[in-house]
Amino acid sequence: MEGDKKFRELIDRSFAEEISEGERQLIRDHIRDCDGCKRYVELTARTIRALREFAFTSEPDSNAQVREILVHHAGIMRQHNVQSKIWAAFAVALSMSFVGSALVYQMARRLAVPMHFDTSQVQPGVLIFWLLPSLCSALCLLAAPGENRGIA
Amino acid sequence: MTLNTTAETETAKIARGLRERDMELLADLVERYQHRLVRYLLYLIGRREYAEDLAQETWVRVLQRGSQYNGRQRFDPWLFAIARNLAIDDLRKKRKAVETASLPNDRDAILLVPSSGPSPFEAAARSQDAMRLAGRLQILAPLYREALLLRFQEDMSLPEIAQVVGAPVTTVSSRIYRGLATLRSAFEEGDSHGG
Repeated sequence: MEGDKKFRELIDRSFAEEISEGERQLIRDHIRDCDGCKRYVELTARTIRALREFAFTSEPDSNAQVREILVHHAGIMRQHNVQSKIWAAFAVALSMSFVGSALVYQMARRLAVPMHFDTSQVQPGVLIFWLLPSLCSALCLLAAPGENRGIA
Repeated sequence: MTLNTTAETETAKIARGLRERDMELLADLVERYQHRLVRYLLYLIGRREYAEDLAQETWVRVLQRGSQYNGRQRFDPWLFAIARNLAIDDLRKKRKAVETASLPNDRDAILLVPSSGPSPFEAAARSQDAMRLAGRLQILAPLYREALLLRFQEDMSLPEIAQVVGAPVTTVSSRIYRGLATLRSAFEEGDSHGG
């Protein structure tokens, strides 16, 4: 009985995974004399055969539906991608505006005296002629036309 | 050797296409795998209407996370693993309030609860023997059903199944043997009653 149990485990393994030729021969030799295990092999084979006899039919337009959904999602993802790139470009442009303005302000202050400018005019000058135009350019990125627009 | 190289080229091509979100390749994958994906989900959750919905969600996930497929293994185990995770999350959500409060934290525990509702297996049975198995399949725990499908219908190797289900090979083989034992009894009992 214990021997049969071991053989049945081996039979199960022979159906589910690769076993050696020696083990296969062992099973063949055993079932020649053991009706119980022979029947076990037949029933297992029959079960596996029956498992392959299920045929599930798909909804006729199932594939087309999936393709449509994928195209829709790909569109959304593309748009998100473009938007995040635009926001990143805006962030870079914004920081460059402030850094650039600070540099221009420092330079203008140094040049104001030798060029006989009034130093009090440097600050509004940089603001009007440098910082505001750069900020406007950065904002233009967000207001790009069509589907590339950052501000929806 | 040639076959192996062809298979490698094929999976590498799929990996590249998924990275680039190639819609033509995705459409081709849907054509090739949708039927098998729905069948797998049907075995896993036992409900036709959920299977179709989850298959759609799986493809969307493939589109979103396609870059995670490395192309070194076959595509189908990777696809089925995504579907499986979605199915488990979905089942947990659906049964959360009612049954799973007492289940352990193990994600797979939800797959030990047999499916309820009409059996999709009876409608799909194409022989007398398959019809005899249909009832057993419906009440068999999804974990065992899944292992049987992947081994005997998808013809996956045990390591490939282990990759899909995220369990050791020994666990996979024991699920297959237990599942087989339950289904085999349908014939043992039937025959002893004069079938």
